[in-house]
Amino acid sequence: MADRAKFLAAVTASLGRTVVLVPNPDSATAGFDDGVLAKSNAEMAMADANTRSRELVDQMADAAATAGWKVHRACNPETASDLVASICEEKKASSVLRSKHEVLDQIGIESAVTSTGATLGITEHFGDNSSALVDNSKSSAFSADIGITGVDYAIAETGTIVLHPRSGLSRLISLAPPTHIAVLRHGEVLDSLDELFAMERSDFMSGKLAGSMNLISGPSKTADIEGTTVTGIHGPLEVHLIILDHG
Amino acid sequence: MPDYSLNPPLPNRVTLFASCMVDQLAPSVGESAVDVLEHLGVSVEFLDNQTCCGQPAFNSGFRSEALPVGTRFIELFEQVDGPIVVPSGSCAAMVRNYYRDLFRDDPKLLERSSRVAERVFELIEFISRFFGTEAIVGQLNTSATYHKCCHLLREIGIDGEPSAMLSNIEGLEMIPLERADVCCGFGGAFSVKMPDISSAILDEKLDFIEATGSSTVIAADMGCIYQMQGGLRRRGSDVQVLHIAQILAESLRNGSSHGAAL
Amino acid sequence: MKPVTINFRSKAAQTLADAQIQQSIEHVYTGFFKGRLLAAAETDNWEDLRTKGKAIKDHTIAHLDYYLGMLADSVEKNGGRVFFAADAAEARQYIIDLAHKRNIKTVIKSKSMVSEEMGLAEAMNTEGFETVETDLGEYIIQLANETPYHLIAPAVHKSRSDVAKLLDDDYKDGDRIPDATELTMMARKKLRGVFERADMSVTGVNFAVAESGSIALVTNEGNGRMSTTVPRVHVAVMGMEKIIPSIQDLSTMLRILIRSATGQRISTYVTMVNGSRKFDEEEGPEEFHLVIMDNGRQKLLEDPQMRESLNCIRCGACLNACPVYRKVGGHAYGWVYPGPIGAIVSPVMTGVKDASNLPSASSLCGACHDACPVKINIPRMLLELRWRTAEGSTDKDERTSSAKERGIWKAWRVGMMGRKRFDIGSRLANLAMRPLAKNGWLKKAPPPISGWTSTRDFPTISARSLKSKLSKRSKGGK
Repeated sequence: MADRAKFLAAVTASLGRTVVLVPNPDSATAGFDDGVLAKSNAEMAMADANTRSRELVDQMADAAATAGWKVHRACNPETASDLVASICEEKKASSVLRSKHEVLDQIGIESAVTSTGATLGITEHFGDNSSALVDNSKSSAFSADIGITGVDYAIAETGTIVLHPRSGLSRLISLAPPTHIAVLRHGEVLDSLDELFAMERSDFMSGKLAGSMNLISGPSKTADIEGTTVTGIHGPLEVHLIILDHG
Repeated sequence: MPDYSLNPPLPNRVTLFASCMVDQLAPSVGESAVDVLEHLGVSVEFLDNQTCCGQPAFNSGFRSEALPVGTRFIELFEQVDGPIVVPSGSCAAMVRNYYRDLFRDDPKLLERSSRVAERVFELIEFISRFFGTEAIVGQLNTSATYHKCCHLLREIGIDGEPSAMLSNIEGLEMIPLERADVCCGFGGAFSVKMPDISSAILDEKLDFIEATGSSTVIAADMGCIYQMQGGLRRRGSDVQVLHIAQILAESLRNGSSHGAAL
Repeated sequence: MKPVTINFRSKAAQTLADAQIQQSIEHVYTGFFKGRLLAAAETDNWEDLRTKGKAIKDHTIAHLDYYLGMLADSVEKNGGRVFFAADAAEARQYIIDLAHKRNIKTVIKSKSMVSEEMGLAEAMNTEGFETVETDLGEYIIQLANETPYHLIAPAVHKSRSDVAKLLDDDYKDGDRIPDATELTMMARKKLRGVFERADMSVTGVNFAVAESGSIALVTNEGNGRMSTTVPRVHVAVMGMEKIIPSIQDLSTMLRILIRSATGQRISTYVTMVNGSRKFDEEEGPEEFHLVIMDNGRQKLLEDPQMRESLNCIRCGACLNACPVYRKVGGHAYGWVYPGPIGAIVSPVMTGVKDASNLPSASSLCGACHDACPVKINIPRMLLELRWRTAEGSTDKDERTSSAKERGIWKAWRVGMMGRKRFDIGSRLANLAMRPLAKNGWLKKAPPPISGWTSTRDFPTISARSLKSKLSKRSKGGK
């Protein structure tokens, strides 16, 4: 078994050195920027998302459509609620799962979903992830018809929504059900990947990095058979992005 | 490379490096290059002792054989000043981009080669850089398509210039070539060592050429020209493959009778 | 995977003769290559991004020992385990032992070229674990008992009817061929069950971030997400070069990787995992292991002429751009990495001698260099390797050229070292060719030109050289 010291010593030798050389901070990478700079970059990114929110939301809508989202603009919470209900009806959904995102309560998700006759569930373990609970939430996600989430951020450059899985936000509800609906509010859209990773790095520098992060840009797809793009190989076949323009 | 274009007067004297293929297989291409340069008021010197830059052996991996030939090239062209013009992107690339590998274990030769290399220009590159792509206005009544030779395109960085120059030739109908920037499959010794692969690549090229319906293919490197012409002949096709220097020179001969040039 | 690079010529010939594969493989040009061009064109600062990407990778590889140490520390801080494997056998054994210890039954694999180096799926199946590839292309290849044809499109050479035969037990020749959607849905159904019961996953790594111990995975299908969510044990495997210093570097690297691979602005899913499930998460693996493998990469690292090849981010753009790859296909290259990048890394990693045809199988057109998102100068490295096989420049034992070939080049050099010899040689060649030629072209010629004339006419040497023509001209004989 190659141990770490032996392995790394061999790498050092391959580089023609006998000791590890600490890189020059003026290098090509951002890895030497300190926490203060990381924090101010993140603050700038967030400020930009707010001051340019209208423009960024419009860009997001275009880029998301290109990425394969079915994009809906809702001028108020009621319209958003109606959109959710009509998707549930169209999909003849019987089991719907939601995340704990506040925006879903704001649009009245409970009545929107239950009015169609579907059940609405949420997985929230509050840190108790004993295997029975985890298995339970896995199987409910695999049998659900629709998963509904808010977004933690979105990225205008790419039409991406960003989710940091946590208590009340299962990794699977945006993946296992055949339909995923994401509800987006103004102020949540970042300009580009640069801003997202600036915020992520700031979280890391301040010891608050999440356990994982998912960037989602459209439906699951593959082109592995004769180069033909087909949606829904493993994840959702259909993804809806509802943009709440109100407020 | 020094930017001569910012320092008028324009060069009025160059040394021609023919390249071994033009010298011994296609001298008319060399004569055409001289005609075109002279038309621009540039006198052309030809060093009688020249042979080859060493690329064939270098590209085949035989650097110990390429080294003396490359050294000979340096010694010869050190004897003259000013631009060295070659009607081949491939040979220009050898001197400009690969001598640094050929001579890397000999710092003195490396330094000398880099001083020669900075004076080396491919023919079209030289004309478009110093005289512009509109400097040659000739006349030629034919239809043609242009193949972008790989080394001129990617090693020397000449992309749209040849087409721009050809568009000034009156009567010349240029038909776009699908995948014009994809290799013809020549690749020097590769074409002989792995003829099946080389020809498969060529076949795709020739299909696209024939689809244009033009009677002439214009290219800028003799290797590629012979690859395509050899393949077309084998197909029984009448399509001619010509060096761009030949087209420019021919158009000047026609054009001068109209008073369009000279 | 055992290298069989020595069979390049015969494998290439097989593919050249296979009309169906020739047609299927066109997609790498019409789909991926053109997609990359469009994506680059719509990206304002595309060349700057490439320059930046190259700078990040140059820097990281030049300090690889430092960043590998940092990465291992970060992963362990996140609660993960790190295993450094000197070769494929060590890596494979670590994963198999772990699976036994954890009582694993079903292993899902997400596409990983490094696991192909290990021959992992086959070895785990032999050990009794149900091991299933989950990338659709890899799944098809696994069912066909083949190896990947392309870095990002493993089954690009397969037709719909090939796939139907593999996915549908009832399908026979002559039946209506299902369309791509029907076939994909068949695979979805089969693989769903596997996902639900999987208790271990093995994924690759697109980028490992040294400072945070994060692993970034890029997929369009979502199998990378399934693999990092459902099973209780997640093992990520990476070549030791797949590392970048900072989270912030990801924006540049993801942009150039994805645009170069498929022409998309972003893949459907980019997943970052920082170790195993955190206490407040709903699901995710209980254990995270990172296997960092050498397996011959040190030979590239210690070689100043070849080191740049470790900048590769495995986007496949050089394959799509390569006129040779598009004709000979992925299997001819005989090891995990096909195309131009394979032609430079396979010889060094698996032995130059058997692989001597790989660096020769190139027209040196430079399209790979142009396409590479981190600007790896592949043609230059092909030439380096040709030097080694022609002359044994770094190791006499690596020389594979024949005495005849060496003789030809020696004679060539003699001919080029003096103008008189150059002229006399050419005139003699002209005289020899003239009786055989028609209109200045030969239909047939003796070796070594016979290779050329097998498919193309060959031009005769001119009766007079340019020197002679110009000297006549200067005497006024134009």
